[in-house]
Amino acid sequence: MLARIFEAAGLSTVLVTGMPVWSERIGVPRTVAVEFPFGHALGLPGDRDMQMQVIRAALALLEEGRTPGEIRELDIEWPSASGGFDEAKRDWQPLEPSPIVKMMLEQRRRG
Amino acid sequence: MPVDSFKYLPGAIAAYYRNLSVQREEPIPWTPLSRPLNECRFALVTTAGIYARRRDAPFDAEREKREPMWGDPTYRRLPRTVRQEDIGASHLHINNRDLLADVNIVLPITRFLELESEGVIGSLAPTSYSFMGYQMNNSEWRQRYGPEAAGLMKDEAVDAVLLTPA
Repeated sequence: MLARIFEAAGLSTVLVTGMPVWSERIGVPRTVAVEFPFGHALGLPGDRDMQMQVIRAALALLEEGRTPGEIRELDIEWPSASGGFDEAKRDWQPLEPSPIVKMMLEQRRRG
Repeated sequence: MPVDSFKYLPGAIAAYYRNLSVQREEPIPWTPLSRPLNECRFALVTTAGIYARRRDAPFDAEREKREPMWGDPTYRRLPRTVRQEDIGASHLHINNRDLLADVNIVLPITRFLELESEGVIGSLAPTSYSFMGYQMNNSEWRQRYGPEAAGLMKDEAVDAVLLTPA
C-alpha cells in the first residue's frame, strides 16, 4: 500500500517482505521475498552479513527491475533454534496477545 | 523454493489471510530509477511501529487497547543519526525484543550508512520513517499520512525507498 503511494509520487521503491502474497494481491512495484518471521524483514539481530545479503538483493532489483509487480524470492534459510520451527513460530509473536486477538478469544469463549 | 507467506502464522490467522480477497487497482505505479545507484539518495520506511524515544511520543497503543479494530495511522521520523538506545517500540502484534537489540532488522540505518561510506549508494537521507503496520482500515494512510511522508521525502531529495513491513 505505502509502496504504491510512494511510487506514484515519483519515488522508486523496493519492498522486503515475508508475505509476498500481499504484493501479488495488491500489485506492488518491486518485491524481495524472504521466508523470515514477522518483525525480521532484514534478518537476525547482529547478523550484518545476512542483513547485507538481503539489502543487496533489494538494491539489485531496484537497478535491474523492468517489470512492475516483479517478486524476487531469496533462498535464505532461517536458522532453527533449539526448539525447532515451532519455537520460531512462537518466538516472533508478542509476549501478550494483541488487543484484537484478545477480543477474538473472548468472543470465542463467550460464544 | 517458493516463499510461503503463511509459514509463521498461527492456523486460524493464516486461514483468515488466505481467504481474504483484495481489490487490485491497475496499473501498478512505476517510477524507474532515475540515476545510478551510487548517486541515489535513499530513505528507509518500516511499519514496525518504532520511534525515537527522546524526540517523539510512542504510537497510540493505549487507544488500540481500548478500540482493538483501530491502529495508529500516523508515522514517526527517525534521523539518520538515531542510536540503538534511542529506539522505542510500540507494535502490539510482534515481539519487539530483536528489533530493540538491533533496529537494522527492520530499519537498516547502520547498514545504509555503511553503504554510503562505501560509495555503493549516493546517500542515506537525513530522515527515515516508521509507520505502525496494524491497520484494519488503511484510508488514512492512503489519503493523508502516506502522501505526507512522500512529500517529506521529496523535500529531502530522496530518489529511492526501501520498505520493510513488520
